[in-house]
Amino acid sequence: MSEPPRHNLPAEPNRFVGRERDVDDLCGLLGETRVVTLCGVGGIGKTRLALRVAARLVPSYPGGVWLVELARLTRGELILQEIGRAVGIHEEGTRPLLDTVAARLRDTPALLLLDNCEHLVDQCAEVAAELVAACRGLGILATSREPLRIASELVWRVPPLDLPDERHPEAESVQLFVDRATAAGTKLSPASLDDVVRLCRALDGLPLALELAAARTSLLSPGQIVDRIDGRFSLLTTGGRTAPPRQRTLLAAVEWSYDLLSAKEQVLLRRLSVFAGSFDLELAEQICADRPISEAEIVDLLGALVDKSLVLCDEERRRYRLLETIKHYAAERLAEAAEREVLRDRHLEVLCELQLRHFGTEMVEPDLPWPVRLAALEASRSLVDDQRAALDWAIESGNAPLGLRLCAYSTSLLPVSSANPAEIVGWVERLLALDLTQVPDEQIAHAQAYLAYGLEGRDELARSLEYATVSLAGLGADNVFPSCVMHSLSVVVLLRMGRGDEALHHAETGLALAIASGDQWNQAAALAGLSAVALTRGRLREAQCHGEEALAKARQHGHRWLLARTATQLGAVAEARGDLVKAMAQYELAVPWLEELNGTIELARCLARIGRVAALLHEFEVARERLAASLKLSRLTGQRQSVARCLVSLSVLAEAEGDLESSVLAAASATALRESMGQHSATIRIEELLTRARAKLGEGRTATLWSRGRTMSPDDAARQVLAGERPVPAGPVVTEPVRHSLLTAREQEIAALLTRGLSNRAIAEELVISPATVARHIANIMEKLGYTSRAQIAVWAAEQPRGSA
Amino acid sequence: MVDSGTGLCLTEGQLDERSAAATVQLRRRGVRAGDTVLICLTVGPDLLVATDAVIAAGGIVWPVPAELDEGRLRDRIMASRARLMISDLPRAMNAARESWVRMVVSVAELHSYPVSRERRTESDPTGRRTKGDCEGV
Repeated sequence: MSEPPRHNLPAEPNRFVGRERDVDDLCGLLGETRVVTLCGVGGIGKTRLALRVAARLVPSYPGGVWLVELARLTRGELILQEIGRAVGIHEEGTRPLLDTVAARLRDTPALLLLDNCEHLVDQCAEVAAELVAACRGLGILATSREPLRIASELVWRVPPLDLPDERHPEAESVQLFVDRATAAGTKLSPASLDDVVRLCRALDGLPLALELAAARTSLLSPGQIVDRIDGRFSLLTTGGRTAPPRQRTLLAAVEWSYDLLSAKEQVLLRRLSVFAGSFDLELAEQICADRPISEAEIVDLLGALVDKSLVLCDEERRRYRLLETIKHYAAERLAEAAEREVLRDRHLEVLCELQLRHFGTEMVEPDLPWPVRLAALEASRSLVDDQRAALDWAIESGNAPLGLRLCAYSTSLLPVSSANPAEIVGWVERLLALDLTQVPDEQIAHAQAYLAYGLEGRDELARSLEYATVSLAGLGADNVFPSCVMHSLSVVVLLRMGRGDEALHHAETGLALAIASGDQWNQAAALAGLSAVALTRGRLREAQCHGEEALAKARQHGHRWLLARTATQLGAVAEARGDLVKAMAQYELAVPWLEELNGTIELARCLARIGRVAALLHEFEVARERLAASLKLSRLTGQRQSVARCLVSLSVLAEAEGDLESSVLAAASATALRESMGQHSATIRIEELLTRARAKLGEGRTATLWSRGRTMSPDDAARQVLAGERPVPAGPVVTEPVRHSLLTAREQEIAALLTRGLSNRAIAEELVISPATVARHIANIMEKLGYTSRAQIAVWAAEQPRGSA
Repeated sequence: MVDSGTGLCLTEGQLDERSAAATVQLRRRGVRAGDTVLICLTVGPDLLVATDAVIAAGGIVWPVPAELDEGRLRDRIMASRARLMISDLPRAMNAARESWVRMVVSVAELHSYPVSRERRTESDPTGRRTKGDCEGV
């Protein structure tokens, strides 16, 4: 499998101009300080500078550099979830997300770039402080109009670009303007340079203002632009007249640029402010086309806005987005035009329609080829940010019917395709708390179905079953699909609770319903459920039979999630039968399907199973490789349950290789990890393993190994088996002396004099140099040794053997 | 030296020690040889420490009288083109808002030993020995 990426930074949209010293300094600062906040007004270039610094630092952070875009979040609780999403964490049961994220970032140095913190500054500060306290190697680079005001923060004020003067006519601001004007196709004559200088000064060197101005050079000369913008400072129509000068400059520039737009361009720009993040042309057409703009006009209008630097897009012009400052301005214009409610309602309606259609294609409609289903799944996933924004609006505007509908038709919030299967729980609960008098009971039951689904993903089995039951009672005869899903969910939950008889009833009922309605998805799911029930009752032939039928149905449907699930079920049946070769083949079948879906957690589970079976088959290399891959995925996604499963498989591997000692260590480590998660069930396998170990290694040695394994970190225990090392008794810890050859002869001389308690002046007299020079030498010594006071140097120098210090 | 306001004394040894620590803080914040550093502090021991530290870090001292009003402070701050300012005065911080100053360092920060990133590398097995010193920060 390919290496996971080390960062999620976007490609730079155009040339980065100037600020070289700043980038250098900031990279250096992040080596020294845990939290650096880039502060400054909108449009000053905080994000761009931060991205530049972050990109430069990728090699310094083995744990990765992760951009977390906060602008689109409306609620503080989502910050952690967004961080989790950026670093690839999946929520685990009821464990607090902070713990899972912290565990992921604790061991290897990583950098988080929290972009646009200002609207959630208090919650950002809280999360940043907690993460920094929990993770030694974590650095945070934040951009915000306001500082976070936490203890370890260093506030770095982003200045405007350097302005030209007599000595530096080619200052950064001029370079940026010329670069962007050239990119817009304008060739500036040398004669216009004076005007460019004047313009840069008028715009205070603000990068965004300069870019907006440069985008207009095809029509207006720099001289004309500066005259027009200058005139605006006295007649700003928006923003506070009392705002700081730079903010006023920026507003003037944005407003000037907006006023130059055609009427239709203005309408489109302000409507585009409803999108949560980036959007594509199709979505813009569906949501923004209304009087006076027709759908067919939007592509040209959007292009015109891109040319004017008001809308950004990627190179292929697939995804468009607005800079935060522009979006904010556009949203104000939208409210002023009294279009906000209308537009947000339509945003919600369109998202409902789209997700309903994608859901139908991905899951419900029979006999579609897989690529069609996959395309629907991906389209649905790409809408998830907008879906969240729309759900926010449904809650804000009290629109429970549409909000619940949007929840009920979206796999992007469900375990099938989401990293946080429990997210749906929060949305449905909030929506169900609204006034529901206008909502039909049937629709409430439908929403409860997905609430139950999410609760199972959060391991809240009793509540999940409760909602599934309530939902089944409320869902009428027309809602066959969710009814079938509820039966399948009940099978899973009841089996997990050890209630096989009730599970059987649900599996049978669900299957009958699904057959009657020709629903392939639920037929496959119900058959897999029947197979699982038969397996727990030891009826292997029946389990095999149902499993095969399930796989055949899944193939008809084509969804990879379903195929992987049924193949895994058949693998489990084969394993129970003792047919390990067949089991391994079935599990291997699921791997490419899960890879295609990015189903990380399920993939980790499947790889761990393959590893265990391969170990039993004495295919040690395969076992090692699969278990290493599984462990890595489990660690990256923060799943302790999954890590524990790997350790158990590693224990099997070690024993199969004849290394009983490592096997005990891995089993002990797995047990300790499970106990830390509140799971205390000792497994039969571990009991048997310990019996064998006692017989072979003796009671004392086994007990020692067990207690050592319990205190060992899961990583260390895993590494031992993966590397095939035999445990060695712990020897004395070797401590290396500090290296001191770093110091120059003069510095060593001064260090030695410091042990005599001499002042800088006395040292200066002794060595016949100036006190300032002594101070500089001392600063150098401190830097080299990492000390922060003269006293530390003195203590250190006194400990050094004579002659070498 | 004696602070005429408070009567507190600063011995030569204390001055050396404090300015050495302050130099480290300035270097950590990226002060390089030849950089201009603004100092806007009332006359007293801290001013002396800050001045010595800037010189030891190789910087150029650009003192700004603390008594000036905000407008005149702003003019001087703008004229300095400095990237860093040492000051505790809210007036000076406001005045620096629209300038080229990237960082404002307070006297307390100058004297503190902030937690440095504990990156242990092969060549530096002890890490940076600052942890014990910083608990109170």
